[in-house]
Amino acid sequence: MFPSFRLAMSWLHTWFGLVLGYLLIVIFFFGSLSVFDREFDRWAIPDTRFAAQPLPSYDRMLAPIFARMTPEADELEAARGRVKAPLPETLKPLNWSAYTTHRDPVVGLYAEYAVPGNPDDPEDHVHGHVTVDPRNGRLLRDDQLKIGSEFFYPMHIGLHITWKNLGYWIVGLAALVMLAALVSGVVIHRHLFREFFTFRPQKHIQRSTLDLHNLTGVVALPFHFFFALTGLTIFAAMYLPVSESMLKPQATAAAMAEAQQKHLPYAAAGVPAPLASVDAMVSEAKRRWAAHDMAGEVGYLYISHPGDRNSYVTIYRGGSDRVALLGQAIHFEGTTGRVLYEEPQPSAVAKVNEFLTGLHLQQFEHWALRWFYLFGGLTGCACIATGFLFFVEKRKRKHAAQGHAGARWADAMAVTTVTGMLVAALAILVANRLLPEDLPLRGDWEKRTFWAAWLLSFAHAAWRCRPMRQGLPSPAWFEQCCIVATLAFAAVALNGVTTGDHLVKTLFIERYWPVASVDLALLAVGLLAAGVARRLRLRRSVPEVHVRTANAEQAHAS
Amino acid sequence: MTAMSRPLQIASRIAASLVGGWVFVWGLVMLGIGALLRGGVPYEDAQTAMYLLAFLVYLAAFCWTYAAASAWRVWLVLLGGGALMTAVGSWLAGPAAA
Repeated sequence: MFPSFRLAMSWLHTWFGLVLGYLLIVIFFFGSLSVFDREFDRWAIPDTRFAAQPLPSYDRMLAPIFARMTPEADELEAARGRVKAPLPETLKPLNWSAYTTHRDPVVGLYAEYAVPGNPDDPEDHVHGHVTVDPRNGRLLRDDQLKIGSEFFYPMHIGLHITWKNLGYWIVGLAALVMLAALVSGVVIHRHLFREFFTFRPQKHIQRSTLDLHNLTGVVALPFHFFFALTGLTIFAAMYLPVSESMLKPQATAAAMAEAQQKHLPYAAAGVPAPLASVDAMVSEAKRRWAAHDMAGEVGYLYISHPGDRNSYVTIYRGGSDRVALLGQAIHFEGTTGRVLYEEPQPSAVAKVNEFLTGLHLQQFEHWALRWFYLFGGLTGCACIATGFLFFVEKRKRKHAAQGHAGARWADAMAVTTVTGMLVAALAILVANRLLPEDLPLRGDWEKRTFWAAWLLSFAHAAWRCRPMRQGLPSPAWFEQCCIVATLAFAAVALNGVTTGDHLVKTLFIERYWPVASVDLALLAVGLLAAGVARRLRLRRSVPEVHVRTANAEQAHAS
Repeated sequence: MTAMSRPLQIASRIAASLVGGWVFVWGLVMLGIGALLRGGVPYEDAQTAMYLLAFLVYLAAFCWTYAAASAWRVWLVLLGGGALMTAVGSWLAGPAAA
């Protein structure tokens, strides 16, 4: 189909890069923000602006909260449609769990409840979730949105498209295309070393965007390759579900054999029995970790079949000081608190996988690396954005002359996914500070603001791209940069006014980095957007000269 | 082949790179797990090892789809190879080995 390997790779890079680039830049951007998800959470929910806490006492604080937890109302409603007979008044919990990290002031509690009587799925279940302030056991309002971990992060992994996991599949496709774009990009350009050091900002736009595209692509190549690849392997069981289909008998047999070897009951006995002291189990787990020279805190607590004779408790060590997310699990018999099994060192294959997964999810404590991740991710965004600009620059005059709308739409989509995405991300923060504190379903209104702002920015970009018919740049870029700058400065100001946690306080009086760093980043975004807007306006005031020199240079270059 | 229009050719390559590539990788994972189980590797490890490899192979298959001269050969190798590896993998993993 293509005369040479390089032309094939060039076609792949251009067209897959353009079409899926609009998704990739979203995934890269919200992935970069997710590195600081807990910090956005603190910014968005001022009640939770206090120091990170270890897991509180189970016996005294968490046990009564778990006992009062109920399934999510919407999940319960959906489950009623899947069963033949009406559901019982209360559903039996399958398991309870609590998760925390070294950056969490509040602790998340999770529960799964069995849904009996589904003819299609004997293991049907629904979920429950609450967030607890570990200082006093108070529950957080569940209609507040943790913007970092409950909105930006799900956007990164599934674009908020939950129907049949479609979002995960789209993100997976984008990750595969990212890998292919990196490979094909290297094949096209060849001068890998030279491009490391080449950026000619004074050349005409097409040349400098290509320089910047190559530079950002090459500098962070291993970083981008790693994240796209591990993003796929983390969800491999979803993309290639062999263990739930063709190899289900083998997988089930292996899981049952493993449970038996570890003395872990595979199913509930159906006989009620009280749970022994979980705090004592936690002390024993900490004692054993310390004995192995790995003193640490609990990262994840899991109680299977609570209240059943076959209940067991698993305590995982939080991975703050190592790359692997969690580890060193110890299983206890629920009714007695006796140690059933202490997990040995993972196998070599499992270790490699834990390391790669842990390096992607980055829950360990390393602030320098955390910032490096952010900038690495933003470099990826810059690479994709300059790719769009190059695509448009290369074609816009030809398309304008021929009356083609292609470059115009490509540019409008680029505006939407570059500045428009920033507008949306800032709009949700501004809405978070402006909406009345006691508004019911406050979080839902914040989400609606986000989507509405993004939709509006698309409409604006499509409406303002008219000058491109004459081969001129779209003013939408300049205008949306102004909106970005305004929103970013407004968000910082609103945080100071509505919560009293202005930068002077969070930096100098009662130092609180999670909020201070979000504010500082917002200021940086505002300044950057204002700077770009200024340059775009300068350029717009001399369009004639610019177009002429650019044409001359292009003629010269080609 | 010559009778096929350019858009159809491109659609065929895109379908081959995504669907064909997926079937091929599915087969590879099945074959790998089957072979590793036969070799005495625990199920979890066999699966993890194949998952780590799977997407690198998917990437190679994806790129090759566009570089290959003949679209028919691409379809044949990806679908045929995937089906064959799936069959051999299931046989290797069979209840006897589990």
